[in-house]
Parts: sequence; structure tokens; C-alpha cells
Amino acid sequence: MEEVVTRVIEVVILAYLASATLFLVRAVRGPTVFDRVLAVDALSYDLAVFMVLLALYLGEPMIAIGAVVLTLWIYSLDIYISKYVESEGIGD
Amino acid sequence: MELALILLGLALLVVGAFLELVGAVGILRLRGFFNRLHAATVSAIGGSAVPLLGLSLLSVALEDLGMQRFHLLGVCLVAALLILILAPAGAHALARAAYRSGEVAKDFTYDAIAEDGVGWD
Repeated sequence: MEEVVTRVIEVVILAYLASATLFLVRAVRGPTVFDRVLAVDALSYDLAVFMVLLALYLGEPMIAIGAVVLTLWIYSLDIYISKYVESEGIGD
Repeated sequence: MELALILLGLALLVVGAFLELVGAVGILRLRGFFNRLHAATVSAIGGSAVPLLGLSLLSVALEDLGMQRFHLLGVCLVAALLILILAPAGAHALARAAYRSGEVAKDFTYDAIAEDGVGWD
């Protein structure tokens, strides 16, 4: 059973790496700042799951502790950007 | 019991990976910020909260991690709960700021806020 779990986790890690690449493309190309923030947002949630996957795969549970911090950090990024944009405007 | 936990966890994990790929393709291919916001929500809840719940079940069933598997269970549950609460709140704040800033093209078929003339204040 452990063998099956390891194989599935390997495939899922590849899927998460592929979607992280797609998010990164949108974060670089995004025409407005909101598209970039949205892509970084999705990328960080992706990374949180990726950390836990890596912790299970390598058998080192301490790697996973960063997932909680990442989810909190990305919420603060959302709130900071939207507050900044609403109160001061962007660009000039 | 352990077999059931492992199978349920793997099922949630595979569903989550599929939804994450769907959300990633959507965020790359859809036109306009608000359409992309929809795809990003698919990848946040379906692609992150669901597989984290699956990973919590999976980690508690894997005995060879010893007592540390409960650490992994706690981290997964807390992260999934935080994503479930914070991802919609953050996406809403971002959508509100994008609507009010006027930077984003508003190609809606129906705009209830503009129709009422009241805005969000």
C-alpha cells in the first residue's frame, strides 16, 4: 500500500509543478497588477500543498510547517494590495 | 480502517490535482480579470483545500511516520481551514479593488452595481 501512495504522490507532485509553471506564466504576462496578484495568490496556495506533499514524500514532517504561514501571508498580500489600490490609486 | 483512510485520502488528492490543473489552465486561457478570478477560486478551494484534507487523512493513516504524523495532520487541517476562510475573503477584496480602480476592463453582460448607481459604499 505504501508503494501505491508513493507512486500517486509522485504523479500529483508533477501535476502541481505543471500548474505552478502555468501560474508563473500568468504572473509574468498579466496585463494588470490584479492579474499578477491573482496569479501569485494561486501560486502560493499551490506551494502550500506542494510543501505538505514533499513532507510526506520525503518522510520529514517538519517541512510542512511553512504551509500555514504561506496561506496567512498570501491573504495579507491580497488585503494590502486592494487597500493600497482603493485608497491611493495605481500608476501616477 | 487504515485502508479506507488511505483510499479516501488518495481520492481527494487526485481530485484536487485535477482541479488544480483545470484552474491553472483557466487562469492562463480565460479572457479578462473577472473570468480569471473564477478560475483562481477553482484552484484555491478545489485545488488546495480539498487535497489538504486528503493529505491529512493520508498522513494519519501512514503508520511509519510515528507520532510525527499527528503534526502533519494538524498542519494540513489548519492550512485547509485557513484556505477555506481566507481565499474567498482575499478574492473578494481583490475583485472589489479591481472594480473600483477602473484599471480592469468591465465587459459584463449585466452590471448590477452600475445599474443601481449606489456602488459599494
